[in-house]
Amino acid sequence: MASKFGLAGGIPERRVRPIWDAVDSRQFKAALKLCVALLTKYPNSPYALALKALILERMGKPEEALNVCLDAKELLFSSSIIHMDDLTLSTLQIVLQRLDRLDLATSCYEHACGKYPNNLEIIMGLFNCYVREYSFVKQQQTAIKMYKIVGEERFLLWAVCSIQLQVFCSSGGDKLLALAEALLKKHISSHSLHEPEALVIYISVLEQQAKYKDALEILSGDLGSLIGIEADKLRIQGRLHARSCDYAAAANIFQKVLESCPDDWESFLHYLGCSLEDDIVWSTSMITDQNISPNLSETQACNLTEEVFDQRISNALSFIEKLQVKVANDHVRCPFLATIEIERRRRMKGKTDDGKFVEVLLNYFHRFSHLSCFTSDVEMYLPILTHDEKTDLLEKLMRAAESPLATPLKNLGQAITIFKIQELLGATRFLPVRELEDTAMKMVGMYYDNLSLSRDLDPQENMHGEELLSMASSALVLLFWRTRHLGYLLEAILILEFGLTVRRYVWQYKILLLHLYSYMGALPTAYEWYGTLDVKNILLETISHHILPQMLRSPFFLDTADLLKEYLKFMDDHLRESADLTFLAYRHRNYSKAVEFVQFKERLQHSQQYLTARLEASVLQLKQKENLEEVECVLENISYGTQSLELSTKERLESLTFNDDLEARPWWSPSSDINYLSEPFEAGSSSLRMNLHKVEKKEGTVRKHIERRSLLPRMVYLSIQTASSSLKEIVEPNGSIVNNNMSYELKHLLERYAENIGLPFDDAKDVILGIAAGQKSFKDFGADVVDCINFAIFVNAWNSCSHHWKLPNGDGCSLSSWHIVDSLVRTCITEQLTCSLPILTSPGSNLPVLVQLVTESFSWHILVIQSCLRSTIPQGKKKKRSAMDQSNLPQVKAIRTSIECLISAVLGVRKWLADQIVGQEDEKLDVLLSHVKGRELQDGPGRVFQALEDYGAANHSELGERISGSLQSWSSADVLRKFAGAQKSLLSRFHGICDTKLKLLESMKQTV
Amino acid sequence: MTTIRRFCCNDLLRFAHVNLDHLTETFNMSFYMTYLARWPDYFHVAEGPGNRIMGYIMGKVEGQGESWHGHVTAVTVASEYRRQQLAKKLMHMLEDISDKMDKAYFVDLFVRASNMPAIKMYEKLGYVIYRRVLRYYSGEEDGLDMRKALSQDVEKKSIIPLKRPVTTDELEYD
Repeated sequence: MASKFGLAGGIPERRVRPIWDAVDSRQFKAALKLCVALLTKYPNSPYALALKALILERMGKPEEALNVCLDAKELLFSSSIIHMDDLTLSTLQIVLQRLDRLDLATSCYEHACGKYPNNLEIIMGLFNCYVREYSFVKQQQTAIKMYKIVGEERFLLWAVCSIQLQVFCSSGGDKLLALAEALLKKHISSHSLHEPEALVIYISVLEQQAKYKDALEILSGDLGSLIGIEADKLRIQGRLHARSCDYAAAANIFQKVLESCPDDWESFLHYLGCSLEDDIVWSTSMITDQNISPNLSETQACNLTEEVFDQRISNALSFIEKLQVKVANDHVRCPFLATIEIERRRRMKGKTDDGKFVEVLLNYFHRFSHLSCFTSDVEMYLPILTHDEKTDLLEKLMRAAESPLATPLKNLGQAITIFKIQELLGATRFLPVRELEDTAMKMVGMYYDNLSLSRDLDPQENMHGEELLSMASSALVLLFWRTRHLGYLLEAILILEFGLTVRRYVWQYKILLLHLYSYMGALPTAYEWYGTLDVKNILLETISHHILPQMLRSPFFLDTADLLKEYLKFMDDHLRESADLTFLAYRHRNYSKAVEFVQFKERLQHSQQYLTARLEASVLQLKQKENLEEVECVLENISYGTQSLELSTKERLESLTFNDDLEARPWWSPSSDINYLSEPFEAGSSSLRMNLHKVEKKEGTVRKHIERRSLLPRMVYLSIQTASSSLKEIVEPNGSIVNNNMSYELKHLLERYAENIGLPFDDAKDVILGIAAGQKSFKDFGADVVDCINFAIFVNAWNSCSHHWKLPNGDGCSLSSWHIVDSLVRTCITEQLTCSLPILTSPGSNLPVLVQLVTESFSWHILVIQSCLRSTIPQGKKKKRSAMDQSNLPQVKAIRTSIECLISAVLGVRKWLADQIVGQEDEKLDVLLSHVKGRELQDGPGRVFQALEDYGAANHSELGERISGSLQSWSSADVLRKFAGAQKSLLSRFHGICDTKLKLLESMKQTV
Repeated sequence: MTTIRRFCCNDLLRFAHVNLDHLTETFNMSFYMTYLARWPDYFHVAEGPGNRIMGYIMGKVEGQGESWHGHVTAVTVASEYRRQQLAKKLMHMLEDISDKMDKAYFVDLFVRASNMPAIKMYEKLGYVIYRRVLRYYSGEEDGLDMRKALSQDVEKKSIIPLKRPVTTDELEYD
């Protein structure tokens, strides 16, 4: 912080040093005291004021801090000021940034720059301000100014990056790019370039303008030597040749890359793509590190003549064969996998020699079948096989596996590979139940039998054969899907828990378990396992989807709020600090990273999960409050719901990014809104993993869902407002003015809601009327039952104010909108409870739907009622008039009926819960055990359970102290007991919520 | 089957399966991005077929005079790709850059004293235990500072082990 001449912000350094020290040691009170003393000596020092503001801000006094900042700013702007330096400005900037007033900091710097137009330090500070504000045009202008002052390469590059960012973030930047190019050219002609990153940016500017030849020329000239790693330079050259459609040259270059890096799979794909002239990846724009890698499914059939094609393929093959000889080393797989890819290209060209494709796959198997990554290497090729080829391949693999490999470890690896391939090809899926059970048994047995191989491993290391248990549990889930025997699911859980008893670090088991527990209603245990994954920082963005959606539909408000809070804090912190990191990249002359950071920040800012979390945090706050006044406070804090509406504008919804990493999800729930287990087993579909879910469809559904949720807080607010004016108007004809605007806005939102589910407003109303009259079902409403009830509730709130919706039913009598809501509530609760089986033995229960109905829909309706009731009590000093006075009004009658309807609905739910909560732990354990125990001789589950019991009981001294010790601690009963306990805690929590709701409703009933 | 390239921000969204491993720390964003902003040549990722991330290495170069050195901050490989010498490849890459591009004298790294598999691996790669750092990890576990001399350090002075352990206060760099 010290300045050159022993002065800091114009004050001798010895005077400010104690203040800095106090701030650094967080002695803010002492610091403030010192600072106040300093100000008496230097009352007109902006720096002393800036320090004071900084201290106040740290002390948690933002308003005072801002005022002091403003004083400092005023001083800076006054003509009397004699000293202005970057230390003062940057100190102010720090405080203002923390106060979220970047604009003020920028204006201070702008003013200072006007005053000292040649002070580089201050101009750099201004550039930094514009980086923080993402003002790319101003960034560019400021950088150019600095470049003009000192002529340094780095400032020119700052300007060029600012131009690139303008181009990325808006359209039509051709002229700008030409300007960037011209600036660079001029600089190079007089000063050349000295930094590798500068060259990278120069190349990318040319590339963006499709000037590939120019870029190539520069790269092969003197400047090319700036790129330190030869292979990197070649890769860029190859890319440029390919983009300029000079495929022969490109292929040649990639061939060179492969000669020096024979394991570079991506370069091989480019080599082959360019040789066959079908590599279309290059058409997509790219810059620097953010490579776009070849995607096999995008390869187009090539247009070469047969003769040329054959020639090129044969050249490629002979090149690859040479590479294979060169890399006798076992670990290099690329040249061997390459032969499979070459065969695929031949097939695409219509050359399907009998057995050739199976043959190359088999060759690869012979060489690498023991490796854990074998399956993921070849996974992309399996869907290409015909049914007969699949059968042929499997037969040959089995035969190949008959001759043992060199070591037991390799044998184990190969056996696992075969299981995986069988699963991938869908071969296990249609096995007779008994055979599928045998397979699962075999996997579990193999895991156990090979434990001795891991005897001497460090406990931190992955044990050999761990995948077997994931696969066995997956087979058992499949058995459940096919047979609906609960025991299989319990066994699937037990296997994974068993594996975690042996080694507690296997995250793959934990993820599978948490999904099984969630599905089976043991959410607390799922949450607990999730906790052990230690998901933090950026993983919150990619991994939270494993637990967050279930938690949002659960009665665990506090845990859910914690999850949301932690995630939002991470995102907000990043969005706040990202610009500073971007500036760091500028400062360290890593220009391409500066551009990349801005693009990455954009990507995170538009994250679907981020948007969802922000909306759900508001909804959750509303759910957590019971009475109207508290809810109104919450609404006030979230700008009466307008904040949520702003989050879901069309532009925002269209620019959503989806950053979930879905890879580790179980096959039966490839995304959070899909669960195949809840659907009947489809015997017709082939392997599920091949049936990848249509991403686009998912994204569309997510957008719709987000939009619906974003309307909720505002609709709740407007409903409360309009409902309160409705009764007031009747009770006190002159006492209130119906807020037409609010009613109009609510109507508009209802129309949007209806449109969102694909119905015109009137049609949507007709559907709810139809359901109320028993002529239609909830399915006729385009969304789920909760959305339907919500719609009816908000329509009622709107209607109770505007009164223009009297609905004739079939008998010619009219139904008020209150009655419609009641009828819908009754019908849906009856339907839900009729199909609700006890969760102990019925996985996939509709508990989440019931939770949402009670904690959301009913809450909204209760708020509407509370608001109506409150409006009947006159405000102010007037004598309170009991609501009973108006008890004969039809509206009041309707409200009373509605309260009773809700009471009876919640009572129904509570009874259903209570029935399941009663009963001793041991009874529940017995019920669960009866699904897996003593059934070995019958069809159905039980064998795996028994095997685990046997393993636990056996003597394992040969496995070493650690493994045998953990095996001895194994207890299936403990796992099942905990499972039942977790279910009970979920039910009890929900039961508690029902209790609270009932108390509230009863008290409301008293007032009517 | 390894394409090794510079790590980019988007990789942060694709490395979950590597980082869920309990020994792989997921740092905060400013940590990763500071490395990317300052030492992008020391942050590399290995990709396999299907663009799956196999593992990555992050490091930096720092120090003065004869203690100008490369530092390995983290190196990790997804379980599926272990036992194929990928870590070795990534380490060589970083050593090469420290040696040839930055002319550093040695490369060093810290490892938990209890992490025997890693210590053995580093020893195989030519690293020696230079010194023990008391309670380096969260004030609890000791760390081992391991070093490998580069070609600049002709006499291999940088790796002569210290006789006594040091405390974290005595460390020259964070």
